[in-house]
Amino acid sequence: MGQFLQFALNGLMSGAIYALIAVGLVSVFKATRVVNFAHGYLIMFGAYFYFTFAVLVPQAAWAPEWLQSWRPDWMVEMRADLPMFSPLAAVLDWMANLPRILLGLAGALICNALLGMLIERTLMRPLMGQSVFAMIMLTVGLISILSGTAQLIWTSDAAFVPALAPNTPIRFEMFGATIFLFGADLANMLIALAIFAGIVAMVRYTRSGVAIRATAEDQSTAYSMGISVPRVFSRAWVLASTTGAVAGAILATRNGVSPALGLFGFSVLAIVLMGGLDSYLGVFIAAMAVGVLEALTQWQLGGEWAGIVPYVAVLIVILIRPHGLLGSKEIERI
Amino acid sequence: MRLNRRQFVVASAAAGTALGAPAILRAQPAEYVIGASLPLTGPFATAGQMVAPALRMFEALNNEDGGIGGVPIRITTEDSGYIPSNALANYQRALATEPNLVMYFGDSTGFMKLVAPELRGANARLMGSTSFASELADPVNNPYQYLPGPSYEDQFDILLNQIRDEGGSTVAFVFSNTEFGRDPIAHGRRTAEELGLRVVLEEATREQGADIPTHVTQLAQSGAEYCILQGYVTGVWPQLIGGARQFGLPTKFMGTFWGMENAIADRVTAEAGPILDGYLGVMPYKYFYDPERGPTYERFAAFQKQAFAGTPLEDYMPTWGLQALFSLQIGVEALRRVADKGLDLTADNAAEALAELQDWDTGGFFGTPVSMVNNKIGTGRVYQYSAETRLFTPTSDWFTV
Amino acid sequence: MITGNLKASYAADERVLDNRWKQGFVLACAAGIAALAGFGNDYVILIACQMGIMLIAVTGVNVVIGYTGLMSLGHAAFVAIGAYAVVIFHNAAAGTIPAPLLTLLALPFAVTVAALIGIVVGLPSLRVKGLYLAVATLSANFIVIFLIEQDAFARWTGGMNGINTPTANLLGWDLDSRREQFLLIAALGFVSLLAAQNLFRTRVGRAFIAIRDRDYSAEILGISLYRYKLMSFAISAAYCGLAGALYAYFYARILPEQFGLDLSLMLVAAIIVGGMGRTMGAVFGVIVIVMVPEVIKVIFGGIAGGGAELAQIRAPVQSIAFGALIVLFLLFEPFGLTQIADRALRALNRWPFARG
Repeated sequence: MGQFLQFALNGLMSGAIYALIAVGLVSVFKATRVVNFAHGYLIMFGAYFYFTFAVLVPQAAWAPEWLQSWRPDWMVEMRADLPMFSPLAAVLDWMANLPRILLGLAGALICNALLGMLIERTLMRPLMGQSVFAMIMLTVGLISILSGTAQLIWTSDAAFVPALAPNTPIRFEMFGATIFLFGADLANMLIALAIFAGIVAMVRYTRSGVAIRATAEDQSTAYSMGISVPRVFSRAWVLASTTGAVAGAILATRNGVSPALGLFGFSVLAIVLMGGLDSYLGVFIAAMAVGVLEALTQWQLGGEWAGIVPYVAVLIVILIRPHGLLGSKEIERI
Repeated sequence: MRLNRRQFVVASAAAGTALGAPAILRAQPAEYVIGASLPLTGPFATAGQMVAPALRMFEALNNEDGGIGGVPIRITTEDSGYIPSNALANYQRALATEPNLVMYFGDSTGFMKLVAPELRGANARLMGSTSFASELADPVNNPYQYLPGPSYEDQFDILLNQIRDEGGSTVAFVFSNTEFGRDPIAHGRRTAEELGLRVVLEEATREQGADIPTHVTQLAQSGAEYCILQGYVTGVWPQLIGGARQFGLPTKFMGTFWGMENAIADRVTAEAGPILDGYLGVMPYKYFYDPERGPTYERFAAFQKQAFAGTPLEDYMPTWGLQALFSLQIGVEALRRVADKGLDLTADNAAEALAELQDWDTGGFFGTPVSMVNNKIGTGRVYQYSAETRLFTPTSDWFTV
Repeated sequence: MITGNLKASYAADERVLDNRWKQGFVLACAAGIAALAGFGNDYVILIACQMGIMLIAVTGVNVVIGYTGLMSLGHAAFVAIGAYAVVIFHNAAAGTIPAPLLTLLALPFAVTVAALIGIVVGLPSLRVKGLYLAVATLSANFIVIFLIEQDAFARWTGGMNGINTPTANLLGWDLDSRREQFLLIAALGFVSLLAAQNLFRTRVGRAFIAIRDRDYSAEILGISLYRYKLMSFAISAAYCGLAGALYAYFYARILPEQFGLDLSLMLVAAIIVGGMGRTMGAVFGVIVIVMVPEVIKVIFGGIAGGGAELAQIRAPVQSIAFGALIVLFLLFEPFGLTQIADRALRALNRWPFARG
């Protein structure tokens, strides 16, 4: 039971990150009817941007000292007589990194937003109204372009990136077993959930959110009601690429920066279809369910089985409910 | 003087032989080509990019020494992205386009296994690699491939014996889900059983971008005293160890050759603190900073100071580079012995010459003369990392398995 | 010059190659391939073999995507099944069936197995289409590769380590050199293309096209969607299975990872570049998709001269070029190279009276 709880918690934490990635896919689909197969590679760019601004820039010769490691006197004093891996030491280490973490996040958000806008402008807009096939394959082509470009810019070098939150270990007894959690992981989950909730609320209650929903409902009517549809498109892409940047930064701290991050996009694509393409709630349920299932599979069957879970799940769900758990059915006329 | 017909025939045959004989006996090309596939992109790009300049150095130094039998060598490097079929395509392309290809350097366990059955007849070349996979040390089925050190299975045996000697009882294997990672696991399981050790966890991870927190909790739950990591180069293993340390797990970590690079350990220590202190593993060669580094390393050092000034290779050669250099050295040595006998540099002749490398003085790669037995050089040493000195230092003497 | 439909009999109208130009073109191609087998150097033969194998697989993908309009991103799985079926058949039947007959039996076996699996993978196509089908087939690809890698099946498939493949043997003739293998690949590739061309003058082929153009209308016209969608998947999987079988004979060892998503995407990219729903589309597409990376490689090899600094950026450039090919064709010539070729031929045909 204790073991089960441990892995269920692990699963919820990765499920939250899936949800954060999925929200970008759903938003773009709602606004533009495009499903972005290359979303994982946008996330990878987010991770690399975070790495650039949080590690490479502070290391540069012209960067001020405090950016690399901010150590005011009081902190050095407090740190001095703490053991290496104590909780308070972890918090202090995190605070020393805080300036570059913030710079990294800001850089990742801005650069990824620009990248999203660029893709929308140059590639997506000319393809409006084309077939599903063309749209899918265009984003598939984008995968190769993005991963090639990332390899040209950043040679895939192994590097640590600073965690977004203090990485204090948390352990407690429950049902006769010790539960281990990483502090940074817990914080990542909260960040992901907060952003997810914020976006859902934004789409529900704000003006631009209503514009997105109206465009999703009927493009030409939205146009005639004075909504600037192109602006809605580019907003949706910016939303997707910025949430992707945060997800990328989180994944970079968990798993390291590498081109392999792009593969997350495919698992999340499966999750999104499983939940229903246009339902935030359905996608949230699917993300959490797949996260927990993956963790439990990892526990019972081993690491190599976990990777296959989203694909099996989506196949089963699609066969039973062709439009996902909570997706709305498309009506076709001849 | 008039020649009759018979005299004319004899004379012209003799003249023909005199003119043609050198061409037949000494059909020496202008150069010999050594092809190489390296992971210049992909998950192990860091290693590939540091090995590439080492190959250039090898070419230059060996041509100073007169190449192979007086013929200069040329090394062509291509990228494989650590994808075996790309490396195979590189090899096939080299075979089809380089008539004087005498040797090839492969870059992964996967490639070496993929190419092994292709090495038949005219398609066979002597082949060294970055891999220590045990299957490659098999002169009967696989005469052209060799290992420049002990196999991963040997390295596992050494580490497991070390654990037993220290009085440990439980061990976890954490490995990347690649051929490289999986290679010694089954054998390690058997050895552990023989030694009375309990394998409490066998965890497969991705070779890069692995889900570290989940794997660390898995390790924490298993309660293993020792953990052997296999199948990583630059990523994953430091993060795993770091995660375990932050949790305060008492597990002792061990690694095989590819997890023993000093530069990576230093980078991790600089970024994440002294998490790697006490990490232990098998490395066949002397580290480049070894106090008694011998003539070969001295020569490398002099060359590097000049040619690689301003790069990380100026004062240091990573273990990966040493492995590639030594691997090529074995091949070239074998080919030289073939050339000295006046034979053609075919793969079969080279494979025979490989077996003749006995009690060979490598000029300082090892602290002892080494022998090629069953297409592998089973000599090595156990080193331990200290975060204080930031060096791997030997904890055992040279051993040969 | 072709000035109109001048057929005088049904037989003439029903011919696979319905005019003299096409017949001439096919004969010229056959002669060209024979010449290549005789005179091409090793490198050319190597590339030609890879192209031939790809061509068969792309023809299969063309059946399902180009003609039937069903999206699939998982066809590499069928190539894998064909390849592994051959190896397993050879290993299982080695003692019982005489060696000269093995290949002749293994090829149909591989094709049949692939077709059967194709029907299973095609099942979701009855419920979903478009995007959902794309993700379903993509998932199927991941799952098939995963199953091949499992230790439980390692006795037959070799698991992650891959497995050595047999040499093809046609009635005692060992095809152990690239040139001999090229003959087999070229012959089968040729037959495959003609069979595909033939398929689309039959009832089945026309049903496929009807489904592509509007599946509900097709159903109302009396075409059983259930039957023809699955048949389309089976036929295309059979082509891919044949390609896989040749792949296994061509390479000495196969690894599961060679049949991953990358290969699936490459197959689809080839028909986008070549032109969907056209027999020659597969040919043009394969030539471009195989040659572009190869040309980049040769150019880089020439500039770098075996050095590593430039070699390091070759793979990213190849990857960008591959993506750019897909994107540019989709944006500017969605009907692919066949459309460009058509335009050129038409212009030539009408010259000097009209242009374009």
